[in-house]
Amino acid sequence: MILTCAEARDLAPAFVLGALDDTEAAAVREHLAACSDLHEEFATFGGVAGYLAESVEPVEPPAGLKGKILAAAAADLTAVAEVPAPAGVLPAAGVRVADVGAAGVPDVAEAMRPVLPAPSAPPPALRFRFDDGRRRPVSTSSWAMRLAAVLAIVVLGGWSLVLQGRLDASERYAQAVAAVVAAAAQPGSQTAIMSGAAAGPTGIAAVGADGSIVLAMRDLAPTAGAEVYEAWVIVGDGGPVPVGSFTVAADGTGTFTASGTAAAAGATLALTREPGPGATTPTLPIVSSGVAVAPPG
Amino acid sequence: MSDGIADRSVRSASAADDVDRAVLVRIGAGQLDALDELYERYKTMAYSIANRITADAGLAEDVVQDAFLGIWRHASSYVAGRGSVKTWLLSIVHHRAIDAVRRRRPTSTLPDPELPLPPVLMSPDIWPEVAGRLDAVEVRAALATLSDVQREAIELAYFGGLTQTEVAERTGAPLGTVKSRMRLGLLALRDAQLAAERSTGP
Repeated sequence: MILTCAEARDLAPAFVLGALDDTEAAAVREHLAACSDLHEEFATFGGVAGYLAESVEPVEPPAGLKGKILAAAAADLTAVAEVPAPAGVLPAAGVRVADVGAAGVPDVAEAMRPVLPAPSAPPPALRFRFDDGRRRPVSTSSWAMRLAAVLAIVVLGGWSLVLQGRLDASERYAQAVAAVVAAAAQPGSQTAIMSGAAAGPTGIAAVGADGSIVLAMRDLAPTAGAEVYEAWVIVGDGGPVPVGSFTVAADGTGTFTASGTAAAAGATLALTREPGPGATTPTLPIVSSGVAVAPPG
Repeated sequence: MSDGIADRSVRSASAADDVDRAVLVRIGAGQLDALDELYERYKTMAYSIANRITADAGLAEDVVQDAFLGIWRHASSYVAGRGSVKTWLLSIVHHRAIDAVRRRRPTSTLPDPELPLPPVLMSPDIWPEVAGRLDAVEVRAALATLSDVQREAIELAYFGGLTQTEVAERTGAPLGTVKSRMRLGLLALRDAQLAAERSTGP
């Protein structure tokens, strides 16, 4: 279906409301991708549709959703690392546009035009793949594969340590991750991906069915004097409960184990830096945190 | 738009969008913590709209996950200057939610017209109750400017997942009439939205 500008304009309101059938919507996107006219009415109407979205009664998503999303995203990175794609690979024209977001705004119509630069892009092997044969790659694989993928990305973190010439740190981190893997393999265990501020410390933790915790962290600032990192568990609406502390040497690798804590399904793990052991309330900011996610059913 | 309040409002929105665009660049570079940040900022809005459209907590969760993973994999498909990151993100969530709803029913089957509609679709008086947030007043005022048939056409499409053809069948109005109701309704909403922004500022 080839549309004239007037026809595309006529379909704009229904387009932003998601009220076109697939054929019509595709025709609009094709037109927008090819047309030199900016068709500002799409952006205008699209903004109004966003206003409608804001009017919806707020409902909080389940606590575990973030962990699922981040785990799947991490698995993407791993898939690339296993099969390095050429740098800057872009999807075939027209393949993904429809999938990414056809309804609201015409941005997606020009999806193939990579506008945003990626000044801090990692080496090609670490770039995520624009793969689209798999709509939700992780959902079809077993939990074991998913866990392996997540762990592999953590190991990739270790690899970057190697690149930085920090071999000892890399080895220590790999050992720590191996301990987490072993704990995560136990029945009833959950996994939390730990992340912090931009380029901050990251890691992974396993939370056992019995409330045991095994944690591996990298890129932590070294502790000095009596300073420690304190691990906290937050369950539901309860306050943070301290579960133990550890120190970090110059290599930035942090390892920690605890047993019989209050950690349970959906618990949040958080790390803070404390002036000394035995803190009863966390000293903000939180250095790194993650939510324990159950294996998907 | 020359008064100071409106200018401030525009600047403020633009500053927020600058932050979002920077986050998007980091997502494009494969930084997980940037995805985390974007999620934290928009999780409630994204989940609320998905939940509203699908009326199914599990499906809404899938929709939000799909949407954020889509953004993770295709951050570069965002085109600056064609709307804010927020609008883009919400449009992706909306699109996927509508998709999910349509997949759930055979395409030829419309929702049973005998079933009562969700309250919000029926009465604009409900809006202030469901909103319960800062822009509730704006939204109520904006929706109040629409005629009943305009509001019905927009809500059946945007929240109900009906195509314009289905809206026409459902309401018994000719397709051309439905199209013009959608257009005029959106224009009225935009005017009300602009007026609210001018009067309240950020």
